[in-house]
Amino acid sequence: MVLLTMIARVADGLPLAASMQEDEQSGRDLQQYQSQAKQLFRKLNEQSPTRCTLEAGAMTFHYIIEQGVCYLVLCEAAFPKKLAFAYLEDLHSEFDEQHGKKVPTVSRPYSFIEFDTFIQKTKKLYIDSRARRNLGSINTELQDVQRIMVANIEEVLQRGEALSGSAEIDTLNQKKYSSESPTFNKQHFLSYLG
Amino acid sequence: MSAPAGSPHPVASARIPPMFGGAATSGAVAPTDPSLAPHQQNGPAQSQMQVPSGYGLHHQNYIASSGHYSQGPGKMTSLPLDSQCDDYYSGLYAVPTQNVMPPSTANQQAGAQQIYGRGPPAPHLVGSTPGSFQGAASSASHLHTSASQPYSSFVNHYSSPATYSANSSIASQGFPSTCGHYATSAVSNAAYPSVSYPSLPAGDPYGQMFTSPNAPTVRPVKDHPFSGQNTAIGHPLPLPPPPSQQHHQQQSLSGYNTSSWSPSGLPPTNDSLTRNHTGSLSVSATNPTSTDSSSSAVPPNVHLPKSSPVVSTAVSGAPSSRMPPTAHHPVEPVTSVTQPSDLLQQKGVDSSSTTSSASPMPNSYEALEGGSYPDVLSSSASSPAPDPAPEPDPAPVPAPATPQPSKMAKPFGYGYPALQPGYQNATTPLHSGVQPSGSVYSGFQQCPQYPGVSQLSSSLGGLSLQSSPQPESLRPVNLTQERNILPTAPVWAPVPNLNLDLKKLNCSPDSFRCTLTNIPQTQALLNKAKLPLGLLLHPFRDLTQLPVITSNTIVRCRSCRTYINPFVSFIDQRRWKCNLCYRVNDVPEEFMYNPLTRSYGEPHKRPEVQNSTVEFIASSDYMLRPPQPAVYLFVLDVSHNAVEAGYLTILCQSLLENLDKLPGDSRTRIGFVTFDSTIHFYNLQEGLSQPQMLIVSDIDDVFLPTPDSLLVNLYESKELIRDLLNALPNMFTNTRETHSALGPALQAAFKLMSPTGGRVSVFQTQLPSLGAGLLQSREDPNQRSSTKVVQHLGPATDFYKKLALDCSGQQTAVDLFLLSSQYSDLASLACMSKYSAGCIYYYPSFHCIHNPSQAEKLQKDLKRYLTRKIGFEAVMRIRCTKGLSMHTFHGNFFVRSTDLLSLANINPDAGFAVQLSIEESLTDTSLVCFQTALLYTSSKGERRIRVHTLCLPVVSSLADVYAGVDVQAAICLLANMAVDRSVSSSLSDARDALVNAVVDSLSAYGSTISNFQHSALIAPNSLKLFPLYVLALLKQKAFRTGTSTRLDDRVYAMCQIKSQPLVHLMKMIHPNLYRIDRLTDEGAIHVNDRVVPQPPLQKLSAEKLTREGAFLMDCGSVFYIWIGKGCENNFIEDVLGCPNFASIPQKMTHLPELDTLSSERTRSFITWLRDSRPLSPVLHVVKDESPAKTEFFQHLIEDRTEAAFSYYEFLLHIQQQICK
Repeated sequence: MVLLTMIARVADGLPLAASMQEDEQSGRDLQQYQSQAKQLFRKLNEQSPTRCTLEAGAMTFHYIIEQGVCYLVLCEAAFPKKLAFAYLEDLHSEFDEQHGKKVPTVSRPYSFIEFDTFIQKTKKLYIDSRARRNLGSINTELQDVQRIMVANIEEVLQRGEALSGSAEIDTLNQKKYSSESPTFNKQHFLSYLG
Repeated sequence: MSAPAGSPHPVASARIPPMFGGAATSGAVAPTDPSLAPHQQNGPAQSQMQVPSGYGLHHQNYIASSGHYSQGPGKMTSLPLDSQCDDYYSGLYAVPTQNVMPPSTANQQAGAQQIYGRGPPAPHLVGSTPGSFQGAASSASHLHTSASQPYSSFVNHYSSPATYSANSSIASQGFPSTCGHYATSAVSNAAYPSVSYPSLPAGDPYGQMFTSPNAPTVRPVKDHPFSGQNTAIGHPLPLPPPPSQQHHQQQSLSGYNTSSWSPSGLPPTNDSLTRNHTGSLSVSATNPTSTDSSSSAVPPNVHLPKSSPVVSTAVSGAPSSRMPPTAHHPVEPVTSVTQPSDLLQQKGVDSSSTTSSASPMPNSYEALEGGSYPDVLSSSASSPAPDPAPEPDPAPVPAPATPQPSKMAKPFGYGYPALQPGYQNATTPLHSGVQPSGSVYSGFQQCPQYPGVSQLSSSLGGLSLQSSPQPESLRPVNLTQERNILPTAPVWAPVPNLNLDLKKLNCSPDSFRCTLTNIPQTQALLNKAKLPLGLLLHPFRDLTQLPVITSNTIVRCRSCRTYINPFVSFIDQRRWKCNLCYRVNDVPEEFMYNPLTRSYGEPHKRPEVQNSTVEFIASSDYMLRPPQPAVYLFVLDVSHNAVEAGYLTILCQSLLENLDKLPGDSRTRIGFVTFDSTIHFYNLQEGLSQPQMLIVSDIDDVFLPTPDSLLVNLYESKELIRDLLNALPNMFTNTRETHSALGPALQAAFKLMSPTGGRVSVFQTQLPSLGAGLLQSREDPNQRSSTKVVQHLGPATDFYKKLALDCSGQQTAVDLFLLSSQYSDLASLACMSKYSAGCIYYYPSFHCIHNPSQAEKLQKDLKRYLTRKIGFEAVMRIRCTKGLSMHTFHGNFFVRSTDLLSLANINPDAGFAVQLSIEESLTDTSLVCFQTALLYTSSKGERRIRVHTLCLPVVSSLADVYAGVDVQAAICLLANMAVDRSVSSSLSDARDALVNAVVDSLSAYGSTISNFQHSALIAPNSLKLFPLYVLALLKQKAFRTGTSTRLDDRVYAMCQIKSQPLVHLMKMIHPNLYRIDRLTDEGAIHVNDRVVPQPPLQKLSAEKLTREGAFLMDCGSVFYIWIGKGCENNFIEDVLGCPNFASIPQKMTHLPELDTLSSERTRSFITWLRDSRPLSPVLHVVKDESPAKTEFFQHLIEDRTEAAFSYYEFLLHIQQQICK
């Protein structure tokens, strides 16, 4: 279940677009997550890993950073990770095409709030189990989502400094990635995607 | 002769402003539902205000606590007169401020919004923080970290659930209070031990913010090396659920049922206030018996008997899964606390503070003024001991701990020692030339009032000189001797007696007016004057020119959160002093750059400091959630009665015409619900071949048959919407359903709207007769003209109020259009709009064929309604200078905390009023300011803050208080108070109170003048219209007795009084009468190439109606043209297009467009009057001796009627009362 989608500029954390919390999800207390998301945006910078999963209790944040724009989604923890990332990639390709060039120049928050319409439509595709089957193509392309870094949102937010490359190591789930090289970095990780 | 004014009020204390309050308090404790107001712990004062009996039916409950607001122990004052600084200051600023003339006006074409400081490479940076440019990545990240500190700290601060429970549980957007740590003063702790206000000393995050954020915005976005690699994944094929298959859909319906009906709504929104009944609303989602008729064209024969909810004709196996009850409360109110509260901003008390020692400087305006500080004033320095009582004032008490400076002087202001010199200051220069004949009416702040223009014709107004020692406004007028009390030119708002520069900067009276333009120094003085003190606001009115400011930092006072405004003082280049709480604040770096002049180092020339009305583009700190889209839901009565009245055709036609003009962006959503004894939804999901009607017959337990295709994107589903609108008027033509399940339909609307918020427009034509919120007729027609008790002015049920509060919590406003021929209990129905910040329209005896003028009015009103500007998820806060406090707000809204009004929607036609009291004497200041901040989301998804600031002088003598009365503002405030009084107490109490308001103020004035003759009724010139207006009020539909008045008409008049802005309300109270058969171009004005004649105003008396004339009466929402029997045939032919008097038709509602000079003049004049108001008035041509003339004659309020005094008799009555 996709609960919250936000797009922000990495440089200053300025929110660019978001999807209103809606429908059946509205009963949940999303405010807390929303403010966590806002804080996260302020912490991100160029050194931050460009793909990351952050656990927040029963929920999970996933984000990708592309061209200085962060695409973030809040899902239930059970929501398939690869779907979440495929969803983000979808948002990215459309957003970049529509607004990519304007991103560095805007100063008003939610300047591209109208992108919400697209977000909603895309979201529907991903949360509808019938429609989801047709997204089969993504299975192969993103099979390596397993390697995406996992951290805990609270830890990230409470750490004084920004989420950065060097700090990643601490938060890596060591058990899960024990086989990985400790000098895991984004270059390495992205090569999987290539 | 018996009734109208009645006997003197029995209780002496119940007079004038206090009188309303006094009775209100006692009345308030009585009836309301205690469950409505569990303590809201918004702030110390809040809990005090929200007495359990509460916000309930009458606002004036608040008045109760008026005594408790006195500010903290010491008034913070400053030590001015630092002569060194003074010199420095005047030297530095004197010249620049000469140019105060707002540059914006110069550079700007009218009608254009100007955006300051907007645009990519924030120019502010020039020279400001050059350092931050250098290091690309590393320095930037450094900045980030530093910036993030304050955020995390304040967020933690908020996430402690006990903190702001009440606040944040209400979902609205709000200022997340970047700086809001409530410091707890010892006092407040004592009084409210249960509420904890963490006093995080954390360096004020706000303060830190402006140190860094400039840099990041400009940094070029990094170029990602892997761009493009991941974009390969194509769009998945859209695969909408096949909606055409009924069964399928029904299945998914049942699926939703189990999980999705939880009380929809934004989590934190469940206002604890309304918690207890949301339960009942949201016990939903059961037995969806909806049938899914696949075509909208199929008339609702599919109705299911409501008694058998499980039967479903079209659906196999109706799902009947009942939701586990626990699901209804997924969010307990307390857990939702984690958000930055939505207060406009908290008033922080800076415990460490300061300000008093700051060696403040005189206000820059002083420097211009000459900086004379009357010694008199500095003597009264030591501020009076405030009531030690329970005063947990959360409000700006900057330095509770700091010892009182022993010597204080006026922080700023200029001499206002006694009355005369002050007024001499104010003499004439501005009058010369400021009154150009042409454009006077476009904005009247320049129009002089003091010189009593009223006496002169408007064209001469500019010439008056005041050489007399006594200001014109104080000239005693012997009312009983003055035959023509009503001036022939319109009455303008008095201009506050400020120096020229402040006058130029001051807020337009169209937006912001005070009943007393000279604020009394103490409550004692105010009590002596016996005049009501309050503000009248029209905060969101349509403006032709508005400076819009985009900047990273919105500069606000750190302690009271006031927005920087033209009336602050700059102590030096780097510091400014708040004009409300006197705290000294730093000028942020960004503010040093002026985008308007592109110069650096002139903070006092920024647009914020040059305009008293500005709009800020808010940062994301001012958002609790992403800005909502515009969402419009129409809830339409389609019972037999409604179909018979025929409003659907007009509505659908208007909607079709204006569909593209609905304010909104590409996200705009729209939906329709119709109801009779069942509720019908319309699936308009894009992709359907035609709209689908879904009928829910279980009105006891309303649910949404499909969650996400009922409110659809306007642009994607436009064709379906058009189809529906074309089909709707004929869909129910043969209906035999007479019942109306309005309550359940509203519950459904609430469910539909709660995820986003927006606007619900309800069209109702009769008493709701089924389901929740059903009503019974309460009107006894025999009592319509009773002079005794008028009953049932209050609601019969709290259903509508509770619903409205729920809606308000979900940012949804409910607007009511009542089109009814019989009694519909507007008193109960109106609650749905009153408390949700909606608006109310009433069309009595509406019928689209039999009553064409009403039909036309509806059509025109709808056009305005649908296309006017709208603001969503708004909150409004009014602040005032320390020492003044607000109580009792009037208008349509929900009061969330002491001074925060929650407005789910704001529209340009909404007016508000606030009553004020003086808690602490204002001896230390010569100026007071009021600031209104309205935070809203525009229909384009921009979060904006509109700020108005009004500055007024403080006076110490009673005469000055009288000199500054704004009689129109006073009468409008009194009218608001009287409405509250009528509902909480009784109509006769309210009427007595109105009479006493005149009696008390005139007798108080009488005692101030030396040669007071008991034989004469003397009023100061400023108050000379007061008795006339009060008499007009007593004869207004809302308050009249003895004349047959339908209960709904009366209640509607009361609703209008509470929600209309002053300018429209005045016409309702005292219509304007003009003679129009001899219009000339003399004194005419030019508007858009049209010549508009300006006939003189006539007094409202039959003595002015000559049989040879034709008269136009402008009552606000109705125009009457009365044609005298002996009216010249020329006029009748040239203007009415009829050969003679006899041939004028009985029902004439239009003037023909004839090609004659007099026709042109008349139409031009009427068009001009029409254009000045948002809703188009109906025109009635009334022949002398036609039955319709009683309607017209009842507005001639100076004349005697069977049940009411004439004006002269009223004066005698007042005089009698005074002499008693």
